[in-house]
Amino acid sequence: MRQGESIVFQSFRQAMAWLHTWFGLVLGFVLMAAFFFGALSVFDREIDRWAIPSSRFEPQPMPSFEKVLRPAFERMQPLPASIEAMRPRVDGPMPAHYDSIAYWSAYTTHRDPVLALYAGYQVPGAKNPEELLLAEATIDPRDGRVLPNDQLKIGSGFFYPLHYSLTLDWKNLGFWIVGFSALVMLAALVSGVVMHRKLFRELFTFRPGKARLRSVLDLHNLTGVVALPFHFFFAFTGLVIFASTYYFPIGHTQLHELHELHEKHEAQELGLPHGRAGVPAGLANVDAMVAQAQRRWEARGMAGDVGFLVLQHVGDANGYVSVYRAGTDRIALVGQGVHFKASTGQLLREDPPTTAVGRVSEFLTGLHLQHFRHWLLRWLYVFGGLAGCACIATGLVFFVEKRKRQHARQGSQGARVVDALAVATVAGMGVAVLCMLVANRLLPEALPARGDWERHAFWGAWLLSLLHAAWRSGPVARGLPNPAWREQAWAIAVLAPLAVLLNWITTGDHLLRTLGAGYWPVAGLDLALLVVAVIAAASARRLGRRAGACSRDAAEDVEAAHA
Amino acid sequence: MSRNPAIARPVRQRRLQFAARLAAAILGGYAFTWGFIAAAMAVLFKAGMEFHDAEFLASALGLLLFLALFLYIVASRRRPAMIWLALLGGGALLAAAASLLQASVA
Amino acid sequence: MHDPTHAGWLLAAALAACLAGMGWLALGMDVHARQAWGRALSPAEARSLRLPGWLALVAGLGLCLGADHPSMAALVWVMALAVSALSVAFVLAWQARWLGVLAPWVRRAR
Repeated sequence: MRQGESIVFQSFRQAMAWLHTWFGLVLGFVLMAAFFFGALSVFDREIDRWAIPSSRFEPQPMPSFEKVLRPAFERMQPLPASIEAMRPRVDGPMPAHYDSIAYWSAYTTHRDPVLALYAGYQVPGAKNPEELLLAEATIDPRDGRVLPNDQLKIGSGFFYPLHYSLTLDWKNLGFWIVGFSALVMLAALVSGVVMHRKLFRELFTFRPGKARLRSVLDLHNLTGVVALPFHFFFAFTGLVIFASTYYFPIGHTQLHELHELHEKHEAQELGLPHGRAGVPAGLANVDAMVAQAQRRWEARGMAGDVGFLVLQHVGDANGYVSVYRAGTDRIALVGQGVHFKASTGQLLREDPPTTAVGRVSEFLTGLHLQHFRHWLLRWLYVFGGLAGCACIATGLVFFVEKRKRQHARQGSQGARVVDALAVATVAGMGVAVLCMLVANRLLPEALPARGDWERHAFWGAWLLSLLHAAWRSGPVARGLPNPAWREQAWAIAVLAPLAVLLNWITTGDHLLRTLGAGYWPVAGLDLALLVVAVIAAASARRLGRRAGACSRDAAEDVEAAHA
Repeated sequence: MSRNPAIARPVRQRRLQFAARLAAAILGGYAFTWGFIAAAMAVLFKAGMEFHDAEFLASALGLLLFLALFLYIVASRRRPAMIWLALLGGGALLAAAASLLQASVA
Repeated sequence: MHDPTHAGWLLAAALAACLAGMGWLALGMDVHARQAWGRALSPAEARSLRLPGWLALVAGLGLCLGADHPSMAALVWVMALAVSALSVAFVLAWQARWLGVLAPWVRRAR
């Protein structure tokens, strides 16, 4: 080894320890958000029900195309904001009305009362002819009534995108930040294993009675190791899911021609045309096609519900209709696609069983996205996500505890800064979520851009949490705990029951009613909020007792010094 | 010569070298992984695998490779310049191979 | 496909098996045996705990497979192991003696 050449580590283990500490510290804040909002996203649709009371009814199957979907699709048009956003990429004027429909699609799972509809329109004069103008609508599948798009789906429309992109869409920056942090998560897991020599011997070791530094480290190791496969697989599959779209979009760039070749090949082989013929054609009865698809699944021994319905090249002779089975009883999201010629209803193709690689891909994707029906597994996922949060949080706390006194002696502000950020990340996220739910209940129902106000409430609350944590973090620079932990824990203990109370007052759906009716989405969230309140209050009291002891010790030290 | 503490490099230069190694781990690693995934996609597709299967398999393996490279480079004792050369050079070669394969098929 | 109540019982049994399995494996380790019973174990006693421990974990997998499609059963089992290990660690941390209930054939230290 060449001395003085550069900073080199004495051993692989030392290198891994450095990596784990410093990359874990910097990206740990992002990872907390990814794991916490990922855990909330497991029940995203249930949170949507709480936030949008008009959608509090039972999950519905995919409705009749002829009676419900077709009129709803025909009424859809892109939003003015989307039209404006695409204007720079179009030569010539933007049409007033969009009739050249590339696709109509509807996706539903066993947890969806309301149905999300998607449409893509061709834009004449678009610089990239493949770029489509998109539209989205949410309907009540029982009658086709459209839900106003001002009503933010707090679960699936906010917490869920927050966990994979921090809702930072400018140049996909949020995707890159979360993606990089996922890679660092994998590195932290491997380096953590390398550092933690006694992985199996200390698997069950948790000593809360010992010195704080030891017990925090024990908890960090415990939550990291017991759910190690979960943490690794979720970070890994998250990366894989977005790899070909965002992180390594090779098929859309460098190997674009190969992709095109494949699409042409596939269109020929499968009989599913890639582009429009330019010849107008009608639409046969889609309900009949859906019924035929369901009969075919039953014939294969896998009777099921329709999960995904897509109509390609609508109104064109090349149009085709694809019906996919919902993967409610297995890991794969949807499958067993059956395809029909749109104008005649003739069966074009029934998808054969997937290839081996395809099955692995379906498994890894479905494992992460969880559209299956299995309530125990769903709760186990929440447990895993919260274990991940606990692992990261204890990691941050360990970092501060280990360096607090040393920094106090040196007059450094490092531990103080990290501690303030840790409070904002661990407690502040909870405060922000609760403030958003409270705002959701307090804001007038018909308020325009209601969703934007709810988002402001969220980000504003988080910012306040950070400011509060920073303002109160002075003691950390003296080697003492930050009172903001206790104070924000109390804030959570107050806000959570407040949200439950507001739900009762504004919607009349109090716990006794929802539990009595067995309406678990709302009852479940209300109960979870109450449990959170109890845990927060207990933690706040414990932190208060410890702070009392700390200041007594400090006072005794001062007395002893004077004596 | 470099074992003589009297002429040990200044701290700032060592920190820059270390930063260069970290940058290599992240950016150089990314470049090499891109090349690997492109080459793997092209090879698998040419060998008859369905395009999206090839894309998925190449990406999954590529991500694991990126992880391994990242860890290896952080712990490595080699000079940052060598690391950058190997990663960028290797990545470029692999990417070039992928484009050549594409040209031979498309 | 799988009758829900039937599957429910199988899953409950699977969780119980994983919990027992993790408990036995923990008790088969000296440090935790001391926490539960106040003494180290003889090699025979340790074996009498570790073997049922591993068997219970495998049985847990079998029960999971009986309840669900294999792709889901595997995930349920892995997560059940995680929650079981964590639970055992918490029991050991706060009331270690309770864990000894899993192995009544081991006598406490006099």
